[in-house]
Amino acid sequence: MANTIPLSPAELSYLHTSLSQTPPIRPDGRSPTQFRPLVAETDILPSANGSARICFADGTEAIVGVKAEVEKSSARPGATTDDIFKNSRDQDGDVDVDREESDKEGKGRDEWLEIAIEIPGMRDDDSLPVFLSAMLTEALLSDGGLKDRLWINSRFHWRLYIDILLLSQPRSYPLPLLSLTTHLALISTRIPALISEHDEDPLFNDDWEASTFLYPRSGELQARSKPPVTLLVVSIGEAVLFDPSRDELAVCDSAMAISVAQSAGAGLKVVALRMIDPPSRLTAGGVPQVLNSTSNPAATASLSPAEALVLREKDQGQTVWRPPRGGVRRAIISRIIKMVVENNGVGEEVIAGLAGVEA
Amino acid sequence: MTSLKRSHAATSPTTTLSSKTYLRTLKSGKVQKIVRELYLRQDIPCSSQLCSKCLDLAPPSFQGRSEPFVLSAIPAGTKQFPQGHYLVPDTNAFLSAMDLFESEGVLQDVVVLQTVLEEVKNRSLPLYNRLIALTKNEGKRFYVFFNDFRLETYVQRNAGESINDRNDRAVRKASQWYADHLQQASEARQSIRCPAVVMLSDDKDCVRKAHLEGLVALNLNDYVAGLADADRLLDMVASSREQRIAKDDKAQMLYPEYLTISAMLTGVKAGTLHQGTFNVSPYNYLEGTVHVPSFDRSLIIMGRENSNRAVSGDVVVVEVLPKDQWKAPSSQVIEEEEVHKNDNAENEDESNEGIITQQERKFLQDEVKRTHGQSAEGRPQPTARVVGVVKRNWRQYVGHIDKDSVRSMTKESRAQQTVFLVPMDKKVPKIRVRTRQAGELLGNRVLVSIDSWDRDSRYPSGHFIRNLGELETKGAETEALLLEWDVQYRPFPKTVLDCLPPEGHNWKVPAEPTDPGWRGRRDLRDLIICSIDPPGCVDIDDALHARRLPNGNFEVGVHIADVSHFVKPNNAMDKEASLRGTTVYLVDKRIDMLPMLLGTDLCSLKPYVERYAFSVLWELDANADIVNTTFTKSVIRSREAFSYEAAQLRIDDPSQQDELTQGMRHLMMLSKKLRAKRMAAGALNLASPEVRIETESETSDPVDVKTKQLLDTNQLVEEFMLLANISVAGKNYEAFPQTALLRRHGAPPKNNFEELANQLKIKKGMELRTDSSKALADSLDLCVEHSNPFFNTLIRILATRCMMSAEYFCSGTQAFPEFRHYGLASEIYTHFTSPIRRYADLEAHRQLAAAIGYEALDSSLQSRSKLEGVCKNINVRHRNAQMAGRASVEYYVGQALKGRVIEEDGFVMRIFSNGFVVFVPRFGIEGLIRLRDMTNDDGKEPEAVFDAENYMLDIDSKRQVDLFQKVRVQISDEAEESTGKRKIKLQLI
Repeated sequence: MANTIPLSPAELSYLHTSLSQTPPIRPDGRSPTQFRPLVAETDILPSANGSARICFADGTEAIVGVKAEVEKSSARPGATTDDIFKNSRDQDGDVDVDREESDKEGKGRDEWLEIAIEIPGMRDDDSLPVFLSAMLTEALLSDGGLKDRLWINSRFHWRLYIDILLLSQPRSYPLPLLSLTTHLALISTRIPALISEHDEDPLFNDDWEASTFLYPRSGELQARSKPPVTLLVVSIGEAVLFDPSRDELAVCDSAMAISVAQSAGAGLKVVALRMIDPPSRLTAGGVPQVLNSTSNPAATASLSPAEALVLREKDQGQTVWRPPRGGVRRAIISRIIKMVVENNGVGEEVIAGLAGVEA
Repeated sequence: MTSLKRSHAATSPTTTLSSKTYLRTLKSGKVQKIVRELYLRQDIPCSSQLCSKCLDLAPPSFQGRSEPFVLSAIPAGTKQFPQGHYLVPDTNAFLSAMDLFESEGVLQDVVVLQTVLEEVKNRSLPLYNRLIALTKNEGKRFYVFFNDFRLETYVQRNAGESINDRNDRAVRKASQWYADHLQQASEARQSIRCPAVVMLSDDKDCVRKAHLEGLVALNLNDYVAGLADADRLLDMVASSREQRIAKDDKAQMLYPEYLTISAMLTGVKAGTLHQGTFNVSPYNYLEGTVHVPSFDRSLIIMGRENSNRAVSGDVVVVEVLPKDQWKAPSSQVIEEEEVHKNDNAENEDESNEGIITQQERKFLQDEVKRTHGQSAEGRPQPTARVVGVVKRNWRQYVGHIDKDSVRSMTKESRAQQTVFLVPMDKKVPKIRVRTRQAGELLGNRVLVSIDSWDRDSRYPSGHFIRNLGELETKGAETEALLLEWDVQYRPFPKTVLDCLPPEGHNWKVPAEPTDPGWRGRRDLRDLIICSIDPPGCVDIDDALHARRLPNGNFEVGVHIADVSHFVKPNNAMDKEASLRGTTVYLVDKRIDMLPMLLGTDLCSLKPYVERYAFSVLWELDANADIVNTTFTKSVIRSREAFSYEAAQLRIDDPSQQDELTQGMRHLMMLSKKLRAKRMAAGALNLASPEVRIETESETSDPVDVKTKQLLDTNQLVEEFMLLANISVAGKNYEAFPQTALLRRHGAPPKNNFEELANQLKIKKGMELRTDSSKALADSLDLCVEHSNPFFNTLIRILATRCMMSAEYFCSGTQAFPEFRHYGLASEIYTHFTSPIRRYADLEAHRQLAAAIGYEALDSSLQSRSKLEGVCKNINVRHRNAQMAGRASVEYYVGQALKGRVIEEDGFVMRIFSNGFVVFVPRFGIEGLIRLRDMTNDDGKEPEAVFDAENYMLDIDSKRQVDLFQKVRVQISDEAEESTGKRKIKLQLI
């Protein structure tokens, strides 16, 4: 992300004011919940299990590839009583297909998922990629459905490698782009169809067409479960804006990443929420007219530093730009969550929009 | 945003790019998604000489010539297709009737589709290789059409379609294209005759679909039935899937089902199941063993149900049975021929009899009783059952038709009937064969192959391939044993002969020492060198010399034919030699590894002419200790070629005082010292029954059998060959620690000797110590009976059978202590001294040449995996050659004894509860005397009590037969009534 924001305090103040209106006036004319236009396609990497590519209108572009590999499960150290209970349940009596499906529950393990993010011009241990990958991993894992799907049998599992590649310079905060692309790649991911039974070494159908989607498309309940999406939301005054542009980020009061997932049966639920240090904190504050040493040298000289500070505080950003101090009110957070998860809310809209890419 | 996707999906008729996606499961268990991009072309010719369009379009090869077209313009017609026809067989047609396609002059003008070729390759590699050979045979006119690369014939797999269905569709589409294409071609030529395109398939459904699509398609059987000589040809077709399936519903399953592959793999990995090669006992066809790494002793597989359709040689997966079902190895001789004499081959409905016949059940019952007796030898051992077959090692089997299974004997009868074929190899079960020519085949050696062994059939079913000729004729029997031991006996192809020096027999060592052939060679023409070989030997590998040095030491040289000079790595001759592995010596025939010109002339170290050699020169002191060793390529001139006898006479004749004889006496003296040292180190003096056949020179009919005599000169040559081999092995290993080709002889596992040691202890009170080769050699020396000089040899023969066989290996694959040659008591060993007749020696020559810096080492000798492949092959070839040689001797011994009745001394080698095995040293034959054959006066089988603990059989309380006992036997030969096969029969006198 660009470290410097090439906007003067006056410009920042102007932006902030117009965005604080009700309804807010966004520089590009979007409504508060509207996303920037994007172009997307899936299955672009023939040899990956699933892949997707998304281009935002500002030119940022990302590719995600998903590969699945069979791996032998190491014995779980100190199997919990829960496991033992489950096993004993397996042994007594027939296990029908549905039951087996549900028996996968809770068997997935966190380390079966590996996410790598590459951002041009950054090392993989730079703070941004590390932070982004932690956030995406957190969302994917806290939706327990995914890792449970990787369970093959008690001796084998899939290891899922998700490689996220940002192709362009990060013009705006890349989290929404990467998350949406990952979501798209995951819903296009297919894993080979298993033909061996029970705990045998897995053997797969050689027909790629026979492979099954990691997130099933048909079937009543199964089809509703979707991988998580992480949305970036900012608040400016009372206003809540989705998919902020770089300018909007530069003046926001607070920024947060909210991950929602759709699990089978239930509606959307928040699986992760993180505050992001907004870049507006780094902007330079404006100087009150009284303290302007060029137009009013005498006044400046007569004021002690403490008095000058009091003057700045009193201004409260009313006449000049003052970088936000952080913090966000509970009411705003709950409003954001409500906007995302409610029926026909932003979350559903985004997921439905992405589902349309494949169709 | 421009899309990054390649649009493969849109296969409009003009796109030439397509792709196929499939999954591949690797051995490691990893699953790969494979995407292949296909660039479809329109310039793949149909290769029919009818077509002028393809002629212009066929792309020229690198040399600017295009391939001549294969398929004839006027293909042969049949009753059904008077206009002539091209065949388009599908995969199953090739799999079930390869022999038919191969038979000379029957099927021509065949289009082999790429789809089919690849499927054949996946299903059976040997059949694939045979098919490839067919397509290279110009006279057969087989054309490989790359239908998957041609735009018009390419077929994409539909969603949900199995790969087999897709391939069937591809075959139909290609047939369709050919038919249309030929129609156009003949219209263009304005010819009336347009050959039909006939698709051959074994799959009813595929034929039906083809008919719907308007194609000419026939079932394989229906097609062959329309040919002339259909009876003979139909026999070559394996019974089709449909015929087999047809009976499925009514027949009862006799054998348990095999586990799925994934279940077997899981079990083997987890250690609950075991994988190994299934071997059948030569004495009891119902008993097999499987050696698996996790058990010291081989697992026993008892009975037909447990062996579950495994044929000797198959790689199987077994499951160990619970302990209460463990059995002891059998003490009975059970031969299939005897038990199942009255089986009816036609009887398909065996359900009422079940898998085990009453007779078999009786034998097995006896086993169990004995097991409960708990004798020392008969302790129950881990017993297992076969749960699946990993790899069938079915080959072609030679045998004869069981006369009793033939219903109508008349030669004219053409009714199809099912007969039993009794394989020559006793370990292989009877094979059910459907034939229309039973009458003709009776009394002949016949080649068949096994097609399948279904769960509802007691015996495997196979089909007839070739008639080798009448039983007991020399031609048929020789060919039979060559086929049985997989010896390549066809003449060398032209490509191999092209590698020979163009001068032929006129090749000479260049006179000018400036010639490149002399580079790096030492001139040893002045040395007094001679060769000592068996009489009549023409391929002289080795020659020797010795002379006293001024310092009192001796210079000894072993000179080996420099074959590697003539056979360069990786040319056609080298490949052929590597495949053959060794020269095979039969009684009246030699099947060479290298063409005659090299083996018997240019390489052979013939006397009086100059020859290239590879020499090992030692300086030995008077104790025969090595002072130093030199290896060099050289030029020598042998002064004389002796036979063993002639050399012995010359050495023993005190009037001979010339330099050559002196040299031989030095050699003799040194060899005795070397031998004494070797024996002291624990080398074993082993014995195998060897006989020599005396033949009439003109007809080479055998007249007499003699046991081979060993002279001191035999040992002289042997000692120096061993010394040379050991020296070379050391040098090669030093130069190439990872890739030296060596030979090892593993120490036999202790329990191999258990039984023999126990027998000796009980019967003779002798002790066999087996803790080291030295201990074994010493204790073998003590096994002497003064009344019976042959006893020691007998024990040595038996001891030899307990050992492992020596094997070639690549030094990187074993740890140094494992290099040891147990029999020779040498740290390291290789074969160097017979490059004309063994491929291993040739490789050792190349490595030694590189080790002394004579030439660069070929890359094939630097790759461990390639060398391992070579070793594996020559180990098999080596063993097969020995077996074929022995079988040949056996046959000739039989011929020499024909019509004679001889009394000879024999020794009891093994005792069963219903018979015993007698070994007759004079003829080197081993024969079984059954109690059943020892009928007493009233014609009843004598009652016998078998004492397994004392290895004793008490017959009618009158006569006792002990192990190792010397007995007098009457040898006669007997033509078996049912088969007309001659067998040697022994009778106790």
